[in-house]
Amino acid sequence: MEAYRQEIIIGAVIIYMVFCIFTGLWAMRRTKNSSDFFVAGRGLGPVVVSLALFSSTLSGFGFVGGPGLVYSIGVSSFWMIVISSTGYALGFFLVAKRIRMIADVRNCISLPDVLAARYNSEAVRFLIAVTIVLGVMGYLATQILAMAVVMQAILSGTAMFADIGLVTCVVVSSAVLIFYCVTGGIIASVYTDVVQGAIMMIAGVLILLTAMSVFDGGMQEATSIILADDGEAMMPFGAAGIMASLGWFFVFGLGLAGQPHLVTKMMMNRSISDNRIILPMSLFGYVMAALLWVSIGVIMRAAVIDGVIEPLALPDDAASFFLSIFTNPLLAGIVFAGLFAAIMSTSDAFLNIGAAAIIHDIPKAIRGKSIQNELFWARVVTVILAVVAASFALYSHFQDATLVAILGAFGWATFAASIFPVLAIGLNWKGATALGAIAAIVSALLINFIVQLSGIVLPYGILGGLVAFIVSLSLFIGVSLVTKKPELDADMQAVLNI
Amino acid sequence: MHSKLIYVIFATVLLIAGILVAIFLAESVPNGAGLAHAQFNGMRVGGNGVARLEHIGTLAFAFQALLLLLIVCLAALGVAEERRSKGFWAYMGGTLLFSLFVWWQMYSNHQAFLETGVTSYFMGFPVATAWQVYGTWLAAIPLIVLYSVGFRKFIFTDEDEEKFEQLLEQIAKKSEQ
Repeated sequence: MEAYRQEIIIGAVIIYMVFCIFTGLWAMRRTKNSSDFFVAGRGLGPVVVSLALFSSTLSGFGFVGGPGLVYSIGVSSFWMIVISSTGYALGFFLVAKRIRMIADVRNCISLPDVLAARYNSEAVRFLIAVTIVLGVMGYLATQILAMAVVMQAILSGTAMFADIGLVTCVVVSSAVLIFYCVTGGIIASVYTDVVQGAIMMIAGVLILLTAMSVFDGGMQEATSIILADDGEAMMPFGAAGIMASLGWFFVFGLGLAGQPHLVTKMMMNRSISDNRIILPMSLFGYVMAALLWVSIGVIMRAAVIDGVIEPLALPDDAASFFLSIFTNPLLAGIVFAGLFAAIMSTSDAFLNIGAAAIIHDIPKAIRGKSIQNELFWARVVTVILAVVAASFALYSHFQDATLVAILGAFGWATFAASIFPVLAIGLNWKGATALGAIAAIVSALLINFIVQLSGIVLPYGILGGLVAFIVSLSLFIGVSLVTKKPELDADMQAVLNI
Repeated sequence: MHSKLIYVIFATVLLIAGILVAIFLAESVPNGAGLAHAQFNGMRVGGNGVARLEHIGTLAFAFQALLLLLIVCLAALGVAEERRSKGFWAYMGGTLLFSLFVWWQMYSNHQAFLETGVTSYFMGFPVATAWQVYGTWLAAIPLIVLYSVGFRKFIFTDEDEEKFEQLLEQIAKKSEQ
């Protein structure tokens, strides 16, 4: 079996991609209008929503960047995972019920739709839509590049595709992504997410079992090797230090409820009561899948320190090296399929919300109505978004990394800082005003942009995103308290009373 | 609605901001955010843990304690004011105390390691890290339990559902007219 390692891995990835294509074709028949395309007609069951929610949370970053971070900075990055229970809990307490209710009452198909209804403000809609578009471009470009790099690494190990170029890999992987997103919209996305989520959970558990067998003394031997090399790396704050760790706890914990691709999924369930099941199921799935992040990272750092393997050229090589050295080919095939699943499940969610922002929200904010024939244009814009993001990714790789790096700043932390106060607090506090919301969004964008562009390094590893988040929270509540209490429409008043 | 709670949340956020400013102004140390590993490219180390916490340890402890308070208050904000009974607040208070206990155990076990250089292990990790990995994750489980088990009592009661159905009916009637 070892002799056919590459073929088995390629086979697993091809099977997965073929599945995505067929799901797109199947979902196309169920996609009749823009509501189906963007929010699946608000008719999804709890299992589908749970798996879609957690698989979209754990992107390719979790499968490639996560183990790389543990290899690089030790336990510091664990804070991004252990916060998941708090993050999901806050997301459901603050957002899940009311976003679903407003979506029903106002027939909303996007997050900016919901916030425009809540604040009765087209300026809020516009700012949130622009934030989403900028964030989507950064996220998509990095995800597409990651997908292509992994594909190239797999294919170049075979004689037939030894010289395959990165451009070809970008084209092939983007084509599959575009096909099922364009044909089946969010219905295809969430049903592929179900399989993607299942693969990620299986991969997480199997990798943990494999990782525990690398050292005779299991995980404890690995952690004691790291501890002996550098005590801080294996202690709770890791190499990055206490403020970087607590900053991640803040930004990832509270910030989950501000991620547009996740909260949009809270609008898609069939019944509000399903939320009581969706919350624990999503959390369970996330934890199972995240086992891969922790176990590969710890084992690879310990194995390098102990001289079991050669040092890695790049921390992000941790996952692929682990799979090629320590796992059998079948497991490697499952995990590589899981890796594509993780990347695609996040990418499809971003393509969907990006298209909604462009064809629905920005026109509505500017001229008071969305464009005609939304379903057709949603498909066109989905293709354009993916092509532009793929071009950004290639330009970044071959010419200049600055563009994607700047857009990358509009990642998790910017969404957290600009959307969390406006959405999570705004849906639960009638005193929140449009002016408070605008101040929060603008401050979050400005601070993140300035920190990113100027390359400012804050003391003790404090994150620019943390500063932006605290400032936007303060401004949101402070400005709302000093501005005139808004007069809410009767239906919004009723929703906020429930 | 939520008139007092939002002030508590606001005050907590401002205190957190104040602590962050104090940390900005504190004397910095070379390894505050880690150093490159002397031997392995791409790997970083924390180095002297005592030095890293010397000027900001207490501030960072307070930062996290306030963040845990903020999390519990935000979760409470998601529950309608009339359902925030004494029993509810007792439960939320217990959740906060549990979170603070976990945080204290993690921090104090780390301090003990810094003083002695030795640690015991729990389920694969040094004790302080085990409190982080298992304890921090478990600390929010009471919130999940309250949401899932107490859904019909605190989050979306039968009465809420009825009101919401009526609202949808009214809207449907209006749109027909």
